[in-house]
Amino acid sequence: MGATFVVTLREAFEAALILGIVYSYLEKIGARDGFRYVTWGGAVGLLSSVAMGIAVTYLTGPLLDVGPEIITVVVIFAAVGLLTWHAWWMQQHARLIGGQVQHRIDLARARNRLWVVGLIAFTGVFREGAETVLFLWGILAQAGSEAGWGSVAGGVAGVAGAAALGFTIFRSGKHVSLRYFFGITTAFIMLLAAGLLSNGIGRLQGLGVLPLSYPLWDTSWLLSDGSIAGGFLSGLVGYRAQPTLPEVCAYVAYLIVAGALFFGRRAPGAVGFTDPTRS
Amino acid sequence: MKRMVMAGVAGLLLGAALVAALPAGAQAPEEIPLAIEKNRFQPDVIKVKADAPFVLVITNKDKGPEEFDMAQPRIEKVIPGGKTVRLRMPALKAGKYPFVGEYHSETAKATIVAE
Repeated sequence: MGATFVVTLREAFEAALILGIVYSYLEKIGARDGFRYVTWGGAVGLLSSVAMGIAVTYLTGPLLDVGPEIITVVVIFAAVGLLTWHAWWMQQHARLIGGQVQHRIDLARARNRLWVVGLIAFTGVFREGAETVLFLWGILAQAGSEAGWGSVAGGVAGVAGAAALGFTIFRSGKHVSLRYFFGITTAFIMLLAAGLLSNGIGRLQGLGVLPLSYPLWDTSWLLSDGSIAGGFLSGLVGYRAQPTLPEVCAYVAYLIVAGALFFGRRAPGAVGFTDPTRS
Repeated sequence: MKRMVMAGVAGLLLGAALVAALPAGAQAPEEIPLAIEKNRFQPDVIKVKADAPFVLVITNKDKGPEEFDMAQPRIEKVIPGGKTVRLRMPALKAGKYPFVGEYHSETAKATIVAE
């Protein structure tokens, strides 16, 4: 039971984290009606995961050999792009929030792009979703014995635990002042996206698309990827016990470029939104 | 919207690049059988030639799926119950490469030894 709990908790954690962030973002900008985009994105992600789980079971030949991996890698890079775009946009938005009135005006504008958070929710759920579905399915198939049902309970509890964590993030987001909220969330998203990018690079190496290289260091003795803490850190900041040079480079380069983009001085003319109160 | 279309096109191109890259350099690499039975890998030590790519032909004899999970190089592959998957492995330097079956990591543990 314990083992399956750990697996599903780890797999579902990142999705819960992303959903928690985007829900609290919407709550924060007073766009509760935008929740439906996230809910739909998450629901479609879940349905696609089930569909993919079923498809994998029926596929054969080369489609089964490489198909799921190609989809995974594409989803990973799409998630990096969407999260970056969202963080950039949020920073532009934050710069214009002077008072409550301004806040509302920006919001009206913001609504037009709320479907992006729906897409983010989709990639967040779909990325690890198919694996989690297959895993739960597998333990259900073997659930004849008493121990089997224990595993099922553990697996379900893991997903529930991850959902509870996501909800906690949502709740705590409510209490952070608007000023800090955007900064904290942007930093959070940057780490998440940097981790995803290095994950994608690592997978391309594993697929043989990028040349293979060897781990720069190995901290599995300290914190293994398979542990609960390792899984959380992997979801949060992209922790890897044995990263390769390209993985580390992608991670650092992303943080530098995105950090400059989000937190650097605003370049003249590079304004995403015009401020209607000043014209 | 334009950006989304561009992102979509970029995604497709990436996918196409992956497909194109996969058969490249495949000069009939050695095929090595590996079975999953009762949530264990059979055999649990697999000897391969160092510096030569190979193909793991993994047959899952169990009813449920299993996930081949190697930390480094980063390779994850789900093998549905009752199926056989051909997993292309990159050329490995001499050394030991442990992996687990993530869905049953307490019993499904094995190592590839490249020498």
